[in-house]
Amino acid sequence: MTKYTIERIILAFVTTCIILTITFFLLKILPFQQPAATTEEGVIAYYTTQVKLGYVLDFSTIQETLGTYLYKYTDTAKETHYFYIRPVGDQYIAWIEGIFTEWNWGVSSTIKPNYSAMGIIFGKLPYTIKVNIWSVIISVPTGIILGIWAALKKNKLTDHIISTLVMVFISIPSFITITFLLLIFGYNGKLLPTQWPSDSASLSTRVLGYIIPVMSLSFGSICGYCRFTRAELTEVMSSDYLLLARTKGLTKTQTVIRHALRNAMVPILPSILSEFIGILGGSMILESLYGIPGIGALYITALSSKDYNVLLVDMAFFTVISLVAGVFLDLSYGFIDPRIRMGGKK
Amino acid sequence: MINDEFTFENDKNFEETIKIDSSDFKFVQEHAKISDQKFQTKPTTFFKDAIRRFAKNKSSVVAAIILGILILMSLIIPAAVPYDINNAHPSEIKLAPKLFDAGTGFLDGTKSYSNIVYDSVNDKPSGDFKVQAVSKMTHTNEGENFTDSVNTYAYGGYIRLWSSKAEGDVSDEYSELASYYYAYDFSRANYKLDIDVGALPSDSFTSQGEYAVYFKYLEDGNYVYAPLTSYMDKGDQKISININEKLLAAGVTKQTFVTSEKASLTIRLKASSSISPSVLIDQFVISSDRGAEKEELASISCTDANASLSIVKFSGDSENKYYWTITNGQMNLYHANILYCSFVYDTYEAAYGIFSNRLGKSDVLSYVNKGWMEIDFDTYLNSNRTESDLAAFIASFKILNDEKCPIRSIDSISVKSVPGIDPVVDVICGCSQYRLLGYSSMPRFIMGTNDQGKDFFKVVFTGLRTSLLLGVITSAVCFLFGLLWGSIAGYFGGWTDILMERFTDVLSGMPWIVVMTLIIILMGSNFLSFAIALCLTGWIGTSSITRTQFYRFKRREYILAARTLGASDSRLIFRHILPNAVGTIITSSVLMIPSVIFEEATISYLGLGLKSGLSLGIVLSENQQYITTLPYLIVFPSVIMALIMISFNLFGNGLRDAFNPSLKGQD
Repeated sequence: MTKYTIERIILAFVTTCIILTITFFLLKILPFQQPAATTEEGVIAYYTTQVKLGYVLDFSTIQETLGTYLYKYTDTAKETHYFYIRPVGDQYIAWIEGIFTEWNWGVSSTIKPNYSAMGIIFGKLPYTIKVNIWSVIISVPTGIILGIWAALKKNKLTDHIISTLVMVFISIPSFITITFLLLIFGYNGKLLPTQWPSDSASLSTRVLGYIIPVMSLSFGSICGYCRFTRAELTEVMSSDYLLLARTKGLTKTQTVIRHALRNAMVPILPSILSEFIGILGGSMILESLYGIPGIGALYITALSSKDYNVLLVDMAFFTVISLVAGVFLDLSYGFIDPRIRMGGKK
Repeated sequence: MINDEFTFENDKNFEETIKIDSSDFKFVQEHAKISDQKFQTKPTTFFKDAIRRFAKNKSSVVAAIILGILILMSLIIPAAVPYDINNAHPSEIKLAPKLFDAGTGFLDGTKSYSNIVYDSVNDKPSGDFKVQAVSKMTHTNEGENFTDSVNTYAYGGYIRLWSSKAEGDVSDEYSELASYYYAYDFSRANYKLDIDVGALPSDSFTSQGEYAVYFKYLEDGNYVYAPLTSYMDKGDQKISININEKLLAAGVTKQTFVTSEKASLTIRLKASSSISPSVLIDQFVISSDRGAEKEELASISCTDANASLSIVKFSGDSENKYYWTITNGQMNLYHANILYCSFVYDTYEAAYGIFSNRLGKSDVLSYVNKGWMEIDFDTYLNSNRTESDLAAFIASFKILNDEKCPIRSIDSISVKSVPGIDPVVDVICGCSQYRLLGYSSMPRFIMGTNDQGKDFFKVVFTGLRTSLLLGVITSAVCFLFGLLWGSIAGYFGGWTDILMERFTDVLSGMPWIVVMTLIIILMGSNFLSFAIALCLTGWIGTSSITRTQFYRFKRREYILAARTLGASDSRLIFRHILPNAVGTIITSSVLMIPSVIFEEATISYLGLGLKSGLSLGIVLSENQQYITTLPYLIVFPSVIMALIMISFNLFGNGLRDAFNPSLKGQD
């Protein structure tokens, strides 16, 4: 098990490196994005940083062999600088160097020109975590309890009602849910803010501002857990060992708690654990619709404003989260149920 | 010799002897062929059994039927509905859903409006409403609704003047509020000013201010204020002032009146202890005994506060035109009458009814050539174009094809002679708009039209068709590839699995946006590139579920037993593991279709997906802005979307239950 764990972690690291390499090359072959700095000094500062990071070359004359220059300016010493894009391979080496030597992931070009991309991401992260952690805290217990309830009352009215609601809510795309929530509670009811309140807003407004995002995130999550729990539990409930447990004289409650739930939780618990890692990821749709300044919204902004450096770091972040969650999921299967040996030979 | 005699005592206590000979025995099946008996019950296969179990699940069957209907509709409706959805139709935008005749109240193409400002002069709602499409109009009565903001259709009310001067502000004991500019030549006639002041309502948050009226004029470059009244603080009063007399009394010579071209009548409010004293002017009427000026003075007098305040001073206006100007304080309308109306508006009548159009001669002649109508241009153009000629021209109009002819009546004709070329002839006629647009009868859009005038019903189902097609194709490709990949990885395990898993890890870790962006750059934003982009990563789900299922089953005892008996790998995979795993895999793959639709809608909603073409996601994202004004544009596709997803999910669950042998025999 230890060997497998170490293997998995090393492999996850290698996978991350491969993905980031591919992503880097794919993004770097896209056209170079001019910085959105408003002043000439800003643009020059951006190019100087790019030269320092090793993405761009600075020449004092026109270089015919390197194609057209990206930008030129004349400095105070009357010296003309021509900036040329470096070959992607060289950029890659410079990028790796920058990350390992000074943890420099590049700078933003259009969102916050010449500002550290990693800094931007970490500035946005708290908002995403704050919203998502509430959603997990609310949705996991609610979903599991509803699922257990539905499974125990299988094919009764309760089960039908819960299952129908779950089906309806899981089927409606989240942006429709959010829009209707905004319409009902925000615009028409005027009970809740229609936009994520700023940090300077009053405490009550900020608390109310959590309701719509947490609700819209929880609906899907609750339904997912409810359906998952119900499905697992019904399957366990129909197994022979439960019948045996009943025939040997246990009450229904005892069989459910001691036998059925424990076995049903085997696939559910790992997904809860990985959900806790997933809270870092956030929801792009919700964040851009409700104006939450989290990293999901940042992703969309970076994509639409073609800020590829920020996009790259954002992607790296999402990649690491999903891979870590995957490793966690696989390993926890084995810890929770020793019969399952992932990676074992046939 | 064997003993072949048996003696025994029978039930009557007699001794009996039986002699048995070998010929008494014979083989039962000595010459018979032994073969299996036919089953008494009907034989069944795995799939037949699965279908039987599926049919028992009522909700899944209903879901399958709904799904079938929706799929059929998405195939039939885009082909069967004749309305064009490729081009924008500016004259037909935002029509309400219509299925029944107008007046039936439900889906009849009408919209109910309420609280629309009523235009009492023309007896119609204000704004761009066509009178003939308005029905069941009721309006509020005078005295029920009031407004404090200037409106073209409001009337009456007061001009409310507020002083912003506080009591401590001693530099100016009063605040000059409003000047009513007009060049008065007081030498010509006697002028009279009638002011009607209203009382402030009891719930007002300000108090009645003390006010006085002054005559303000320019003398030697300075403004001089000549008092016409002393300060008054009683509300609700009428004052009549003889201006000439008062000015003489104030020592202003007649000569000044003539020269005082920049003169005005000014109301001043005394600063007081209350925060902002105000006064309500009901009427402010200037009149003179000179007949020639009567009309002009009447036109500049304020008898209607709303009308007076509607006049905006333009910078180009010379100063001796009249308008209200405010120096220190504020002025607004107070308590003007306004009427609101509620009515039912037939959007189809407004878009397709008979309205007056101006058509060129060539257009009209094209209808004549098609044999739809008859009209005689030549006689009229060669005539003297008198009234009777026009009447003869109108009389020469005849509709031959009632179904197609857009011109329903001729109102008049205009002939503009342009030197050098033929005269421009326009016919002003009552045109049936739907015939003009090429419809043979008034269209009925079941779900109305969108903001581009396209039949929304057809738009939604065309979008559904694209989404479904995308879902089915993508899912089929992904399912087959994922099944193969997952079973190999799951069955063989070990290094094969780890390597294959790393590949899927890399692929699934690749953000799809990058994959999609690159593919769109390479292949353009179309259906195919979108499907490829979805396929590239879409199979991973099926593959990982297949792999998990294989892990789940490959260590079971029955596999071990089969392997012990010498079953080959392919037999183990396809005969033993796959049938057990297929239920879960199929469920997840049936659910892949709605998830592709879901994903596509989400991507399109974020503005990153299909740009050309029409899909349910694009329809939803395009109409998101109308959620408050035209809710059916978002509710209808949302319902279709939800229906598709719910039926797919129920259908998938039904399939899972039917295909999962561990649930066999259970309901």
